[in-house]
Amino acid sequence: MVGASLTGASATAALRARGFDGRLILIGDDPLPPYERPGLSKAYLRGEEAVDDLFVREPGWWEAHEVETHFGERVHRVDPATSEVVLASGRPIAYDRALLATGVRNRHLEVPGIDLDNVLSLRTVPDCDAIRLAAASASRVVVVGMGFIGAEVTASLRTLGKEVAVVEVFETALFRILGAQIGRVLEAIHRDQGAELHFGDTVERFEGDGRVERVVTRGGLRLEADLVIVGVGTEPNAEVMHGVGLASNGGIAVDAGLATAFPGIFAAGDVATHAHPLFGPIRVEHFDNAIKMGTHVAGSMVGDATPFDDPHWFWSDQYDHQVQMGGVFLTDRMVLRGALADRRFCAFFLDETDVLRASVSIDWPRDVRRSLPLIGAVVDPASLADPDVDLRTLVPAEA
Amino acid sequence: MTFVNVAASDQVAEGQIGAWEVEGQQVAVARVGGRVFAFSDICTHRGCTLSTGELDGTEIECECHGSVFSIETGAVVNPPATDPIATFSAREADGRIEVEV
Repeated sequence: MVGASLTGASATAALRARGFDGRLILIGDDPLPPYERPGLSKAYLRGEEAVDDLFVREPGWWEAHEVETHFGERVHRVDPATSEVVLASGRPIAYDRALLATGVRNRHLEVPGIDLDNVLSLRTVPDCDAIRLAAASASRVVVVGMGFIGAEVTASLRTLGKEVAVVEVFETALFRILGAQIGRVLEAIHRDQGAELHFGDTVERFEGDGRVERVVTRGGLRLEADLVIVGVGTEPNAEVMHGVGLASNGGIAVDAGLATAFPGIFAAGDVATHAHPLFGPIRVEHFDNAIKMGTHVAGSMVGDATPFDDPHWFWSDQYDHQVQMGGVFLTDRMVLRGALADRRFCAFFLDETDVLRASVSIDWPRDVRRSLPLIGAVVDPASLADPDVDLRTLVPAEA
Repeated sequence: MTFVNVAASDQVAEGQIGAWEVEGQQVAVARVGGRVFAFSDICTHRGCTLSTGELDGTEIECECHGSVFSIETGAVVNPPATDPIATFSAREADGRIEVEV
């Protein structure tokens, strides 16, 4: 298992649950045992959770289930020719089957001043600890990027009473994933909570004497800051493949059953560009997908290679609000239960042939989850719009 | 451990869930196949309320993050939760639901 991530951990646990009793070797560059990341932008960041609350399994679980762990070790490459995983130390480890669950890393912002103290980013527990430490004495924070990490960090830091300003290149919050209409609802929630939001602008440089003091934008803003958190997207950790077997989006290409082009090598989780039966080639970075794909690939690795066709689902908690989404593709045809203005709704996105492509809710989670079996199916728009219709009674028609 | 009067039987219809505080504990009561089941209303994953989740037979799905538990045994049926929920003995007598806590 290359990557002691949620995916790698889920696959490892699933193999043992299936009764696999051979050797299992779990390798990850993080020194900690596998942990969940959602809390790093939320409860753990706010100091409401301990690190023990984050572990996927209690730390002794791996040893108790005879998993050989290499935490804090980086894999340099996977060699299909010799069926070996080569550690950064040069040590080779032979495999019969290998899973690549190496995840993603934060995209680097190439601007002057990026190396100033207190210009931080968030992916790991140590990253989060550094932000907590810096935030404790910071009074004004600038968040760069208002995707999920930026939005959740903004909400958490506002909750802690910090002044927060955000610089985001798109026209509103969460624009790329949730679209303009729903993005504006979240934008309004953040403004009401006192966040200062600057859209359609990007960072030109960070200024300061050793430690960051201000953010200068292309649009000419000069935003004072004693802490900056950069969340401008990710890149897949696909280097272990040494340039082969990659998809055009940089992920590791896998078929519907999560196998790469190389015998015995599988990939899953954030790093995998998956030939999804419903969505086509797609790479997502969702918590639920990491668990489900990891669990599924365990079957693939022992010869049960069925297609992975989960419709994808995620949530985001911001202030007292919860966003959920199922499916992938937003369309121009939105059918609503509830109202955007009430900030409590479930929005269904249909294509021109009434095929449900995605569902997004704010504080209306039930119908997103009930709609998951309907993603990719023809659904009556009037039934979707009627809150009295139980979505479980809508039998999917052939798309 | 004693049985505590929690609600009238007609407060929990077939396929429905109610929630009450019983002796300081948040307890959910569901009726499936005519039988009442009592279980902790607090998801062991991140503390969400289970009684607002989705009941499917004797399984409850947390609407926050999708964990699924058996309301019969408390066992985790689906992650992300890894720890079971507490379950309580429940019985009905004279039109009342009683839970042992």
